[in-house]
Parts: sequence; structure tokens; C-alpha cells
Amino acid sequence: MAQIMLKNIEKRFKQEKVIEGLDLTIEDGSFTVLVGPSGCGKSTTLRMIAGLEQQSDGQIWIGDRCVNGIEPGKRNVAMVFQNYALYPMMTVKENIEFGLVNRKMPKAEREKVIREITEIVGLADYLHKKPQALSGGQRQRVALARAMVKSPAVFLMDEPLSNLDAKLRSQMRTELIQLHKRLGATFVFVTHDQVEAMSMGDRIVIMDKGRIQQADSPMQIYDDPDNLFTAQFIGTPPMNIVTRSKAVEAWDYQVDESVHHIGFRPEKAVMTMDKKAAVGKLHIPARIVTRETLGAEIIYQLESTVGTFYVKSFLKPLETAVEVNVSVSYTDLFYFGQDGQRVRALEPTEVQERLVIAGGGYA
Amino acid sequence: MTLWSRLRPYVMVAPSIAIFSIFFIYPIFYMIYLSFFNWDFINPVKEFVGLDNFTELFRNNEFLQVLSNTLNYTLLTVSLSIVISLFLAIWLNREGTWYGIVQGALFSPHIISLVSVSLVWMWLMDPQFGLLNWLLQLVGLPKLEWLSSPDSSLLSLVLVAVWKGVGYNALIFIAGLQSIPKDMYEASALDEANRLRTFYKITLPMLSPTLFFLIIINLISSFQVFETIAIMTKGGPVNSTNTLVFYIYEYGFRYFKIGYASAAGVVLLVVVGLLTLVYFKLLSRKVHYQ
Amino acid sequence: MPIEQRPLLKVLHYLGMVLLMAAFVIPFLWMISTSLKSYAETVIFPPKWIPSKIMWSNFTAAWESGPFLKYFMNSVVVSISILLLQFTTIILAAYAFARYRFKGGNLLFGITMVTLMIPGQLIFLPVYLLMSKWGLLNTLFALILPFSSSAFGIFMLRQSFKQVQEELIEAARLDEAPEWKIILKIMVPMARPTLVTFALFSFIAHWNDYFWPLVMTTTDAARTLPIGISKLREVDGGAAWHILMAGNMILVIPILIVFSLAQRHIIKAFVYSGVK
Repeated sequence: MAQIMLKNIEKRFKQEKVIEGLDLTIEDGSFTVLVGPSGCGKSTTLRMIAGLEQQSDGQIWIGDRCVNGIEPGKRNVAMVFQNYALYPMMTVKENIEFGLVNRKMPKAEREKVIREITEIVGLADYLHKKPQALSGGQRQRVALARAMVKSPAVFLMDEPLSNLDAKLRSQMRTELIQLHKRLGATFVFVTHDQVEAMSMGDRIVIMDKGRIQQADSPMQIYDDPDNLFTAQFIGTPPMNIVTRSKAVEAWDYQVDESVHHIGFRPEKAVMTMDKKAAVGKLHIPARIVTRETLGAEIIYQLESTVGTFYVKSFLKPLETAVEVNVSVSYTDLFYFGQDGQRVRALEPTEVQERLVIAGGGYA
Repeated sequence: MTLWSRLRPYVMVAPSIAIFSIFFIYPIFYMIYLSFFNWDFINPVKEFVGLDNFTELFRNNEFLQVLSNTLNYTLLTVSLSIVISLFLAIWLNREGTWYGIVQGALFSPHIISLVSVSLVWMWLMDPQFGLLNWLLQLVGLPKLEWLSSPDSSLLSLVLVAVWKGVGYNALIFIAGLQSIPKDMYEASALDEANRLRTFYKITLPMLSPTLFFLIIINLISSFQVFETIAIMTKGGPVNSTNTLVFYIYEYGFRYFKIGYASAAGVVLLVVVGLLTLVYFKLLSRKVHYQ
Repeated sequence: MPIEQRPLLKVLHYLGMVLLMAAFVIPFLWMISTSLKSYAETVIFPPKWIPSKIMWSNFTAAWESGPFLKYFMNSVVVSISILLLQFTTIILAAYAFARYRFKGGNLLFGITMVTLMIPGQLIFLPVYLLMSKWGLLNTLFALILPFSSSAFGIFMLRQSFKQVQEELIEAARLDEAPEWKIILKIMVPMARPTLVTFALFSFIAHWNDYFWPLVMTTTDAARTLPIGISKLREVDGGAAWHILMAGNMILVIPILIVFSLAQRHIIKAFVYSGVK
């Protein structure tokens, strides 16, 4: 079917390497999101899959053929662009039809396909309008319909939602997820928005500086980040990170030399007025600086001897400028080495913790 | 990359490049080549004469007069046309139907054939029955000889050229004026600058790219004046309106002195080439303020 | 502007506008008036504006004084052929210059830019010799071929092709559109305003052209309307102003009608191409 394989891809613009040693397999029928900061190479990767950009080195496979040197139109892929790239001089119908005519599909069949697709995306009433007469959301649908009529094995989407307002964007997100289920095709979706990535993808590929940082399911990435970059990129607010030296100094926290950073998620921290450290927990005295109320949850910014960090809480709001104690379970700590990679072997596990309790060391 | 996709750009530009090379680039070199020969166009043998054609040109009083006519005509036409059109542009740069109509009328000679313009003006300037002399009489001035006297013939041609050219120049100036940001004028008004100062300190500098562009293209086109002369005066009376291109035309097609005419053509080439060069030189030094 | 507040200036302002208008309209009115007069009425002084008898026959006299149908058809064939050929050549070349990177591309574009600066008045002599060598003098080919591409057109069109957003072309490539279809269905419609501008420009220039046909023709076979009209001076030793002006009307009226209908567009076209 249409599994996509990128093998040892390299991309140079002039002398500059923007992508290096990229290996990636995108499963058939998956909804894969490429996410990362701007300039990380995600769009270039997508464009290389489409054939709009030629890789400098390596192979790209779509299904069971290597598509190196195959024209974009012949790769059995369709693309939705950020600015939709609708042909302004053609009507909605002509826009959707253009690819089919180029494929020399007979007229009767064409009409049928267009009718079906425009029913699905709800454009039936707009067929004879020009794109300029449509709203942003409707243009988005035309772009989708134009991709769908060709019934490609792969849909490539380059930040297709970024030009929509917030409400429409979340609506389109849901619709895209449903569409993916319905079509069963492979979706590759590029975004710089981690919330979009988390909410849409069944697989997320995080990229930075032309390299893949981690490729996993959303929850796996969140719960078990491979490295510092991933840990900080996913999650709002990002994971709190403290250097080992500060932790040693401020909290008298003992940890192996090979660990350079210690991190914990804002929602794993609990604020208490208790002055005493609880069993199996890291104890951080801090002061609330700001409070951001998001409805169900509240994000606090706190000031401590190791610097600023965030705590997310679902309880009723606390006053600012209040001295509190923050406690974090040792099992909720993440360790990262000098190169930013996780040092899983040294992290406290539940087993170790139970041993500590049994020994009654801290009691 | 397939062979075709590599060849495609060349194939696409080939027709145009072929036309440019055959009909524009190559003839320049051919003309330079011919200027070193004595040839009457019929004789199969071209006689090499080195620089003789050029020395003959510059010893020939007729040619020197032609050069001075051309220069006088060009300088007069361009300076008058630029000054008048700049004045008209500043005056007529307003919104409103009437200004649109006047601008349209000003522009209309630009799209009309030089043949028509020449014929109408010949008739207007007719010494006996022409409208211009009638108008002169109406305001109590003496009749003029216009094209019939060597004293006024070149000036008459300048008048026609200015009449034909000011509309186009003025509209380009207006486009230039409209691209000057309004806030500059507001700032200058707040600084209590008077009108003349505002003109010298803001309008003129901001307009300099347009001004410069117009001066150069007017110089180049005036230097090649041909149609009005061919139709209205044929270079006369007594050579008073004979200009460079008309001279080349006559020596080429009436006297069949191809080498000699080519040498005169090379002189034109040098002048046009220099003006073009100045244009690009100054353009790259940017006369822009934006 | 304070003009509106100062009565004297205001009067001067409107008086100036009227005089200015007159300077540009009266020559045309004079032409129309003369074209409808009898010979006798053209040679009276002071002149009469309204002819006592409208002489429509001047037009037939002008038309029949030479092979004017031939001239007219030649003008039409030349201007239209030039326009069609130019469209073909400049669209292809402008697309290549705008969208492809190829070895020597800059040099070839340089040739185009140099051509842009070479006027016909400079090279008519050598081109005449070439045409005569090829036996093309006194044929329409001599009038059409040198202008079957336009450096100016390529320059203008390349600019507007470059402004078409890249994604549009990429979308078309993903839609399996072959290159020629991208040009015809995407680029050309996108550059329509530029093409209309250029068409107006080119048509008016070649319809009006006097110099080139004069140089390249010595017989009526390939002469165009402007040459034919200028030949009217030979009727009655050049004194037949009523016939001359009638002939002139034939040349001017079509252009003036087009101008009055599309004045704004034409002015914009010419100003735009001048400013660029």
C-alpha cells in the first residue's frame, strides 16, 4: 500500500546542509504529524516526499516503489498548501477538476467524483464561485476537495490550518481527523504548533535542526521523551528543567555526575503550605509570582532559589505572593545527560521508591 | 533531469533570441563593419577605405550642420518639454473629472501616428491659410513663415515635438508625484516651509528618479527624430532641419553611399550608447530616495 | 490648496485649463473641419470653421486616390501578425527567464536587455541590406519579422510571471499539469493585465508606425496606411488640404475612438510601462 520510507535523506541548499541522515518510516494509513520549530526541516521533508524538492542524497519510497526522480504528479500524492494555492482564475469546480482533466478522466466519471467529494466537504452550493468569493474556511475545503478527488494514497498537508481563526481551526482539526478515518489514506501533516500535533496525530515526528528528535505516539512522546528538546517542545507550559549543579546546591539533591539536567512536568508538581518534606518527594520552597487562570486549570509561575518554574494545578486558586512548598514525586523526575539525551537507567523507579519507604529511611 | 527538461529553457527563449540577434545585435556589428567600406549597394565589390568615411563626415560642413541641428533640436525639445510637463503635472495633479479630461486631452497626441500629427501641424502652420497665423493676427501679431523659413523651421519642429510629448511626460510626472508619501508634505507644512521651499526640498528630490528617467528617454528619442522631418520639411529649407537619422536615410537610400551612411550611423550609435550607459550608471548609483 | 480661496488665482486656474484644453483639441477640430470643406473654402483667409456645405466626397476622393484598401489590409495584417507572434515568443521566453535557472540564462537575458535599448532608427540601414539580400523587401515579412518578438514585452512579462506565487505552480505540478498547461492555464491568466497592457502598446505602436514601412517598401505591395496617407501630399501638388485631412481622419479616428473608450486603461498602460 502506501507506506512512506525515507532512507538516509540529505538535503543541501547551496553549501548548507538543512537535513542530514534522515531515516523515517511513515506507516500506511497513519496520521503522522511532522512538528518542530521553524527552520527544522519539516516542510522541506514534506516537499521532498511530494517531489517539489529534490533530495541531495538518499532514497524516498512510497508504497513499493522508489520515487527518486519521479514527477510530483506521478507519485500518487496530493498536497494541501498553507495558503491553499487555489487557482484564482478558475471556479471552485474547475479548481477541483483540474487534476482530473490532466489525468484524462472521462467527463461523466469526473462529474460523479466531483459531486461526491463536494457533498462530503459541503461545497455543493459554491461550485461556480471563484475562490476570491469564498471565506477562509471554504477555501480550505476547496483545497481539501482538490486533493481528495484524485484519491491519492498519501495526503501531504503543509500547515493547512495556520491561516484560519482559532474557532475554525479547531473545527477543521476534528473534520480532518474524521476525514482521515473515512479515507484510510496516509496523512502527513506539517505544523509548528505542538497542540495541533498532539491533538491530531496518531504518530508525531519531532524535528529540530534537520534531524528527527523523536518519532512516537503523542502520549509516548509526552510521558517518555527521548531528550531535552522533545521534553521542552511538547507540553504547555513546557517541562521545568533544572541543572544538576543548582539542584545539588539548593536542594542537596544527590544524583550521578552523568546527569546534567533534571526535569518535571508542571502538572506533576503539587503545591502545599506544608513546611515538611513528604516521603519519596522532592521538596522545593518557592513563591508564587503570577497566576494564569485558564478555566479548569491554573498555571502558576513560581520563583525559587533555582530559578523560575511553572506549576499547573486544577484546584481552587491560591493567592499570588504567597510562600508555598512544591513537592514532586521522585518517580516523576526525568534525567538528561550532557548531550541532552535521557538517562533512563539512573532515574528513580517505583521499585526503588518502595524500597526506600520500606527501609523507613526518610521517616 | 531528462534531456528535454534540460533543453526546454533554451528552446523557449530561442525564437526571441534569434530575432534579437538577427535583427538587432548583428546589424549593429554589420553597420560598424560597413562604415569602413566604400559601397554603392549595387557594385558587388566593397572597397575598404579604413576611417576615410569618418574623416569625410567630419570635414563635411553639411554633416556638421546636421549634427548641430540635431543637437539644437534635441536640447530645445527636451528642456522645453520637461519644464512644461513638470509644471503641468504639478498643476494638474488633482482629483476630479475635469482634470481627468484635460489629462486625457494632453495625452492624446501620444497615441496618434506621427504621420497624422505632422500633417495636421503642416496645415496649422501653413503661412497663407493656416490657423496659427490667423490666431497670431487675432491677437495683433505679425504672421510667421513657420516651416518655410530657415529661421523658424527648426523651432516649428520643436513646437510639434513638445506638443506631442508633454502629455506623456506630464502623466509620468503625475505618477511620480502620487508616489511621494503624503506625510512628507504634512511634515513640511508643520515645519512651516513655504511652497517654493517644499518644492525644492521635497518634491524635486523625491521626483528625481522620474525626472532623470524622462530626461534620458526624451534625449534618446529626440536625437533620432525622423518622421516629422521626413513628412514636414524633408530637411529643408536650406538644410535647416536636416537631422542625423534623416541624413543617414538620405545618404543610404537616395545617394546609395552605404559606407558613408553607416559611418553616420556609427556616430548615432555612439551618442545613443553613451546616453544609455549614463542612464544605467546613474541608475545603479540610485537616484532614489526610497 | 489655497487656489480655491483666492478669486484671482481661481480665475487664472480655470482660464489656464480652458486654454490648455484648447491647445490640444483645436488641432483635431481643425482637422475635422478641413476634411469636410470644399477646396475653395480651405484657401480663404481668415479661415471659416463651419463649412457651408459638408463635403463627404473628400473621404471617397482620398480613399480612391490610391490603393487604400490594400494599405488598410496591410496595416491590419502587419499589426495583428506582430501581436500574435509577439504573444507566442514573449510568453515562452518570459516564462523561461522567470522560472528556470539555466546555464547562459543571464547572458541571454542580457542580450534581451541590450535589444531593449536599440531603436529601429539605429539599425534600419543594415537590416534593409539583409532584407534585400533575402529578397524580402516590399513584402510584409520585412515589416513583421523584426518585431515578431519584443524585448520590452519579455521584460514586462517576466516581472509579472515572477510575481505569481510558487505554490500555485507546485499545486499544478501535483495536479499532473504538463508544463505547457501551467503556462497557458495558470501563468497567462495570472499575467492578463500585463498582456493587455502590452497588446495595447504594441498594436498602437505598429498601427501608427511610419518609419519602418517607409524604409522597407518602395512599392504599394507592402505599404501600410500611414505611408499611404503621407502619400496624399502628392495629390494636387500638396495643396489639397481637404483631401489630406480627410485621409488623415481615416488614420486617426479608429485610434481616437479606441482611446476615448478605454482612455483610463490606455493611459495607465503607457504610464505603467514608462515607470517600470
